[in-house]
This record gives sequence, structure tokens and C-alpha cells, in this order.
Amino acid sequence: MITVGLVVFYLIVLVGWHLYDPTRGFTEAVPGADNRPEGSARKADDVVIGEYFIKDEGDVAASELKGEWACFRGANHDNIAVNAQPMSLVKGDFKEMWSVETGEGHAAPVISEGKAYVLDYEEATSSDALRCFDLTTGKQLWKRRYRVPMKRNHGFSRTIPAIIKNNIVTIGPEGHVMCCDKVSGDMKWSIDMKKRFESEIPFWYTGQCPLIEDDVLVLAPAGKDTLMIGVDVNTGNTVWGTPNSVGFKMSHSSVMPMTLGGTHTYLYIGVGGVCGVSAEKGSEGQLLWSATKWQPSVVAPSPMQVSQNQVFLVAGYGAGGAMLQVSKSGAGWNASITDSYKASAGMSSEQQTPINYKGTLITILPKDGGGMRERLAMYSPSNLHNPIWTSAADERFGLGPYIIVDDKLFAFKEDGELYVYSVSAKSMSLIKKQRVMEEGIDAWGPMAYADGYLVMRDSKNIKCLKVFE
Amino acid sequence: MDRRDFLRTCGTFIAAGAALSVGGALATKAKGRDGDVFWQIDPFACTQCGRCATDCVLPVSAVKCFHANKVCGYCDLCGGYYRPSVKDLNTAAENQMCPTGAITRKFVEEPYFEYTIDENLCNGCGKCVKGCTSFGNGSLFLQIQQDLCQNCNECEIAKVCPSDAIKRVSYDEAYKLKDHA
Repeated sequence: MITVGLVVFYLIVLVGWHLYDPTRGFTEAVPGADNRPEGSARKADDVVIGEYFIKDEGDVAASELKGEWACFRGANHDNIAVNAQPMSLVKGDFKEMWSVETGEGHAAPVISEGKAYVLDYEEATSSDALRCFDLTTGKQLWKRRYRVPMKRNHGFSRTIPAIIKNNIVTIGPEGHVMCCDKVSGDMKWSIDMKKRFESEIPFWYTGQCPLIEDDVLVLAPAGKDTLMIGVDVNTGNTVWGTPNSVGFKMSHSSVMPMTLGGTHTYLYIGVGGVCGVSAEKGSEGQLLWSATKWQPSVVAPSPMQVSQNQVFLVAGYGAGGAMLQVSKSGAGWNASITDSYKASAGMSSEQQTPINYKGTLITILPKDGGGMRERLAMYSPSNLHNPIWTSAADERFGLGPYIIVDDKLFAFKEDGELYVYSVSAKSMSLIKKQRVMEEGIDAWGPMAYADGYLVMRDSKNIKCLKVFE
Repeated sequence: MDRRDFLRTCGTFIAAGAALSVGGALATKAKGRDGDVFWQIDPFACTQCGRCATDCVLPVSAVKCFHANKVCGYCDLCGGYYRPSVKDLNTAAENQMCPTGAITRKFVEEPYFEYTIDENLCNGCGKCVKGCTSFGNGSLFLQIQQDLCQNCNECEIAKVCPSDAIKRVSYDEAYKLKDHA
């Protein structure tokens, strides 16, 4: 009897054990539980430009400061700033006004009405992030970001935004173009150059800075079919386009406007050569000329006008410099390289675009520039092979940037030391130097200046100094 | 004393004792609402170390994730909801940050999603809070659920909190919330 009872008991336990489902209260977590509409499935790598916005505390209202450094190389595209009112260079050490950490990279700021803007790369979120700071305090006022997972390659960020009226336009390292309201940060429109134009993004990412003229944004996607486009900056609509009949690819260089032979022209050095596109009303976007005799495989500096029909071209990594002559020839144009030489044989630059100051050309020579490598140097346009002045043997700047404010040249060593020179048409003299970045690394991003504030960066920090008062 | 008086006297004492007990309990409760102190997390000091989930004396921590809707960006790619290495943005378990599936999300309109915390499932580990704070607006934060908290004299979590984010505060401050900050 006891045996039968035990058997029955164990049978009940066994059956119960099989019937009991300890997971009966569980809910399976499967795709689709969030009611996401069909057809809107998304991968984490899909880029939605300008997707996220974070407003920080702080006043975004108009500042008393009205100075502008609103695009790459400033309003006149010459990297020369002029104080609207007479100001004096600060005596003694420049005061550091603020400092902020950034993602690793070389993107540089612009300044507009008391705000500084930079297209940073947030490594933690794998995002391009347009950050707006108060110029006087460095307090972040807002940021708009979008996720772009990418691999570090000399850091991530690269470019300088462009501002026109209330619009700020950025180009991300993967060719994502974004337009926002510069005050509120509201998203306006975007273009994915890689997707729309099948642009091949350069190995070290997009270094092209946006150019805006008369409310038209000029981009050089240098894609499969399109070389250059004009975009209405207010709407994002394409207003003109240039077919890529020359087959150029995107370089690290930027489109520069200049008037050559009396014709307003957009110059672009692509991978494959240099070209001029009409910027004249009525013929915008027409390819005027191209030259393929000088075509370095990697180009970072932008073209610089030297005279009414001469353009100085320069590139690093062994390419050196060249002089381009452009002239009208009947109904067409003639563009030819009149001089071309290796970096060690004359004026050249690896990364920064030189400055044409009162007819004298200023550059920092590249690391393959022979005995004068990495020195600051001045050249006459009539002789690009022998400098008329160079900095001292211990004043070598690497790939650092330089800018002229009034008659002072600020040169930033790539290790974070700032040099100030008094500059004239024939020489420079050192006024003072100051260490800005302790153990600075790869300070390559161009500087920005307005209202007495000089903003500079190394690969991980942005600092602001008060240099004029 | 006869039996009747004895019972009457006992009844009087029992009734008086009961009345005193009830009165005392009410007084204690009233005092608790107005005068006692409660454990509170300062969400701005919290570093989401994970000890709230492991050091509370309760089997499942009284610390829960709270959500400040006013602060939330309603992001599709939410750093609090998805694991950092996520590839597909969908609700499959392998994509979710929360180890207990306590966060649910619903599509609102393109490209926004609303997030909700299931308090019964949340164990206060703070993984979602870390993700949201690092990658988003920081709308998710940890706070002590007062109806679960035993209000110990010495909070075991406070003892190990590396950022000293847990303090005793008065009743009206017990819930420090991000959207009221």
C-alpha cells in the first residue's frame, strides 16, 4: 500500500514537473513591439542628418559682439581679419578666456555675433555634433548631432562651418551637409553627398569647407555625374549643377571664389586636376576650363589667387607647388601650368592654405621642404623658389595654422605654442610667443578671430584667448 | 474583587491599551509625514555605478529608474534603450540595454518614440541611466521608490555609494526629480 502510494505520489510530481512551465509569465522580446510603422526599419548605421538636438542652459539671444569670422578663411577668403575699431595687441601673456574638450580631430570654429560654432565629432556617441558656444565664456548653448559611425584616421572631425544670415551650414567628415538656424539650432535641410552624388569620400575624410555666396551654397561633391552644385541655402534646393565631365574625384580641398580674367569663378582642386566653374549670373555652374597637368593624389590646401589671372596651387606629400595661368582665348578659356616644382624647390605647403598679404605670399613649408622645412616663410609671387624671409631655425610649426589680424600674424605650432609676428610686405619680426596647450598634439585646425578673441584648437581641445583689447 | 469587577477592570485596561496603541500609531504616522527623514538619490551626483541594484537590503532594490518625459528627446536611437553595439534598431531582446526588459517603447510619430519604465521589472541597475546620460539628454535617472524603501536607519546603498549621492532629506524633498530640477 505504501509502495503504491509512493509511486502515485512520484507520478504526480513527475507529471506536474512536466506540465509546470516556469516561463509562463514571460513575454518574448521580439522586433516590432514598438509599433514602428512598416517600411521605416532602420539600422544603427543609417545616418539621419541632424537627428538629435540638445539645448543647454544659457542665453542664445543676440550678443553685443558683432564681429564675424563666418567661414573658412573669413569673409574675404584670404585668412586676414581686420578689426572694425582700432584695437591694441594685449601686452604680456594673453588671457585664456575658456577651454573646452572636443572629440579628436581638426575641425575649426567660426564666429558670429558673440557665438562660436564648431562641427565636432563625439566619440562616445559616434556622432557629428554642431556645437554652439558663447564666445566670451565658452559655455555650450546647444548642440545638434547625428550618428555617423566611423573609424579614427588622424582623428575624426575636419571642416569649418559657413554662416550666412541666420543659417549655418556644415559638412561632416563623411560628406553629410547640414543646415541649421544659427540661433535656435533648428534643423533646416540636409544633403548626403555620398548617397545623392555617389561621391567617393577621400581616405582622410572630407576636408571640404562649405562656401556660401549670395545665399547660394557651393559644394563640390565630385561624384559620379556631378562635379559641383549650387544650393539655395534657405530652402536646400539645388539651383545649378556642373556635370562631372572631367571625372574629378573629391579631394580634401575647398572651393574658392575668385575673379579671373574678369569672370567670377569657383576654383576647385579635385583628385584629377583643377577646374574653374562660372559664378557669373546667368551662367552659374558652367565649366569654364580645367587643367590636368598638375594632379596630386592628395590635396588639402585650397587654391589661392595671386594676380588677375594667376592662381597658386599647392599640395603636400611630395607634390609641391605650381602656378596656374588662366586667360580667355576667343570664346573659350585657356588654363595652363606655368611652373611646377617639388616641395624642396620652392614655396609649398602640406595642409594649410597660404596667405596673400599685400602681394606677398606667406606659408609654412612642409616637412619635405628641405632645410627650411616647417618654417614660416614669405615669397614674392615673381619668385616662388627663393624666400624673401623665413622664421628662425627653432621656429618650426609643423602643420600648424596661421592667421593675420590687422598687421599681426599669429602662427600656432602644432604642439600648441602660439607665436605672434609683426608682419610687413617684406618681412616679419617676432613679437612674442606663449604656450597655449600644455602637451598640445596635432594643432592643425585653422584659427578663427573676431572682437579680440582668437579661437584655436589642438586635436582634443579648443581654447579661446583675448589677444586684442 | 469579585469576578465581575475583575473582568470589568481587565476590559477597561484592554480598551485603554487599544486606544493608546491606535492613537500612538496615528501620531507616529503623522509625525512620519511631517518630521521624519527619507533616503533620497541626487540624480545629478549619481554615477550609475550599479551598487543600488546589489546593496539594497530588499531582494529587489527599492531604487528604480525614473523617466523625466520633459527632458526626454524621444530618440529613435536611444542610448538608454539600445546596447552600444546595436546594429538593428528594433525591440528584439538582444538589442536592449535593460537586462530585465523593464523599458518599453512605442512609436509616436516619425522619428520619435515614447519610453516607459515598468517599475515591477526594474532592478535599479542603472545601465539605461548610464546610456541615456552619456549619449542622450539624461532623462532617465535613478531614484528611491519610497513605498518600497524600508527607510533603514543606515542605508546599505548609501554606505557604498562612491559619489555620496544618497542622503536623508525631509518628506517634501524625498523625490528629487530631473524634470522638476
